[in-house]
Amino acid sequence: MPLLEIKNAELKLDGKDILKGLSLSVNKGEVHAIMGPNGSGKSTLSYMLAGRDGYELEGGEVFLEGQSLSKMEADERARSGLFLAFQYPVELPGVGGMSFLREAVNSRRKFLGEEELDHLAFVKEARKVASKMFVKDEMLKRAVNVGFSGGEKKRFEILQMAMLKPKISILDETDSGLDVDALKIVSDGVNAQRNEDNAIVVITHYQRLLDYIVPDFVHILSDGNIIKSGGPELALEVEKNGYAGLINAA
Amino acid sequence: MLHDVKDNYINSVKNHVSQFEENSFRKLASNDFKSWPSPREETWRLSRLGVLSRKEITPIIPDFKKTFSSKSQFNGSTIIRFVDGAFRKDLSSKLPSGSFLNILGEEESLKCFHKFKDSNLKDHPSTNVSFSCTPSIVKLTVEKDVNIRNFFEIIYEGGEDNLSVHPALYIELKDNSSITIIERFNHLSSLIMPLQLIELKKSASMDSLKIFSDNQKSYNLSANCTFLSDKSNYNSFSLIKGGIFTRSETHAYLKGENCNLNLNGVYLSSKNQHHDLTTAIYHDVPNCTSKQIVRGVLGGKSTGVFQGKVRVAPDAQKTDGQQMSRAILLSENAIANAKPELEIYADDVVCAHGATVGEIDDEQLFYLKSRGFSETKAKQILITAFLKDIINVSVEESAQNFVFKEAELGLSEIISEEI
Repeated sequence: MPLLEIKNAELKLDGKDILKGLSLSVNKGEVHAIMGPNGSGKSTLSYMLAGRDGYELEGGEVFLEGQSLSKMEADERARSGLFLAFQYPVELPGVGGMSFLREAVNSRRKFLGEEELDHLAFVKEARKVASKMFVKDEMLKRAVNVGFSGGEKKRFEILQMAMLKPKISILDETDSGLDVDALKIVSDGVNAQRNEDNAIVVITHYQRLLDYIVPDFVHILSDGNIIKSGGPELALEVEKNGYAGLINAA
Repeated sequence: MLHDVKDNYINSVKNHVSQFEENSFRKLASNDFKSWPSPREETWRLSRLGVLSRKEITPIIPDFKKTFSSKSQFNGSTIIRFVDGAFRKDLSSKLPSGSFLNILGEEESLKCFHKFKDSNLKDHPSTNVSFSCTPSIVKLTVEKDVNIRNFFEIIYEGGEDNLSVHPALYIELKDNSSITIIERFNHLSSLIMPLQLIELKKSASMDSLKIFSDNQKSYNLSANCTFLSDKSNYNSFSLIKGGIFTRSETHAYLKGENCNLNLNGVYLSSKNQHHDLTTAIYHDVPNCTSKQIVRGVLGGKSTGVFQGKVRVAPDAQKTDGQQMSRAILLSENAIANAKPELEIYADDVVCAHGATVGEIDDEQLFYLKSRGFSETKAKQILITAFLKDIINVSVEESAQNFVFKEAELGLSEIISEEI
């Protein structure tokens, strides 16, 4: 059974068809990259998977470990092990980073039937993970994403991913707004979490990120559908010839 | 014969002062109370008092035997207690040195009355009614150069259904003095009309915290008139959560240069509550700053009103006046009104205002849900943060927890109904 299975997903926004029968299977231990030009439906796909209101499927279905997601709210999906790293992480003024992380982690642990972490145990764990992500202690004390630089926001997303230990992570344009050094830190953070039991879907415009997070499969998304799939070499082809050639050929 | 119900309260106020002389401040005040403000009056358009004219209310005769024992919330604080609108020395603490309380005689009371009548609170119903009916005007004075660190806790209690209460407090801070005052309004009366006159002399500094949590049937029409001299600071925060109708109206006159004013507030409204924060700030001289942050959270069929007037006189150059109000509606039937009003007659000033009314931010809600927080929990977190934010910037650190807990109580009323 695939870890994540998207079957003929159809979705409209404001009456316009955005996803037009998209299918994708992701197995445990795999990293998939979805590449596509602007307006191809990349962000819609990530919101649909995460369960954002207004992004419900009109047709088709999505399964996480064989369980349909269609009746699950965003928070249930998250607790079940689906994680979305936002392209634009949202600022939460007045919500302290540490307590936010702790409550998120504990709601996931509760779902998994694990014991909730007390304050001390949590802080210890958070600091350990944070130092690997070059996230300073001081950042955890601040309000979530408030006053963070672009790079800090992305590192904080990946820190959350590391703490929540999701089964499937969707990284929505995690490379956008990152310089080379930040890109490397974020990618190292993601790579450290790759294992045989989880899977990662990387959504990106550019091949650049895939130098650091090397995918097993690359899919080209265009006009609401996957028009071509292949190995890492497909990303290089995009880099060389652009999307236009691939789209015209399809 | 039908009797004119409209005149009920006016007559009972007149009866209340009948034994006083014609030229007493009480008589003068009662003569000026001719009717409740009409909704045609601009500042009462959004907060209508029509219901009051149909109620059978009479001014209370304070019962000096009543006892109350609500506890102090802070270590070492000085408690000043008003019961039925009357100051109760027997239930209050001894004052710290450098400060004293006295009850004003006729002459001083008349002066105090004229200060109100010279202000734009002259036609406020509480001005005329409470000067008529207050048991006495109590004056708190802090001597020159005296800085009192421990809080003053002023507790207003008592009152009964169908009776109105009229506490009147005059606070004078002499040069270079400072205090923090925490006031709690916990009346049981149908109508509460507190009056407050504050005079801050040169370089005096006052932190004021007001918590309105009167009985759920109460009308509270609080009127506050504040005068600031050179280099004085007035930092005020009001939390309105009680009563069926609570309006806190503050007029601040910046009379001396380089003074600094913060008039912040939060209203938390549920069911049929009506909450109103009305302020008027008069920049009469140059080089002063005023800042207002107002936030509201509304559920049920409640209504919130923020009216903020800032007037900058022609001479008041280099004024910095900021005003920001935000309200979050948790129910389709709740209403929030925001009415900023800037009157600027000087040309070298910085004045800004902004007002938003809306629901909980969609993006923030989704972000939290995507991290496993249920919708209810996510909303709670966001509203709590919305309030914490303003409490942290408005209230001094050692009182933040107390205010936050008080706010949470108000919030739980709304949340139990809406989320």
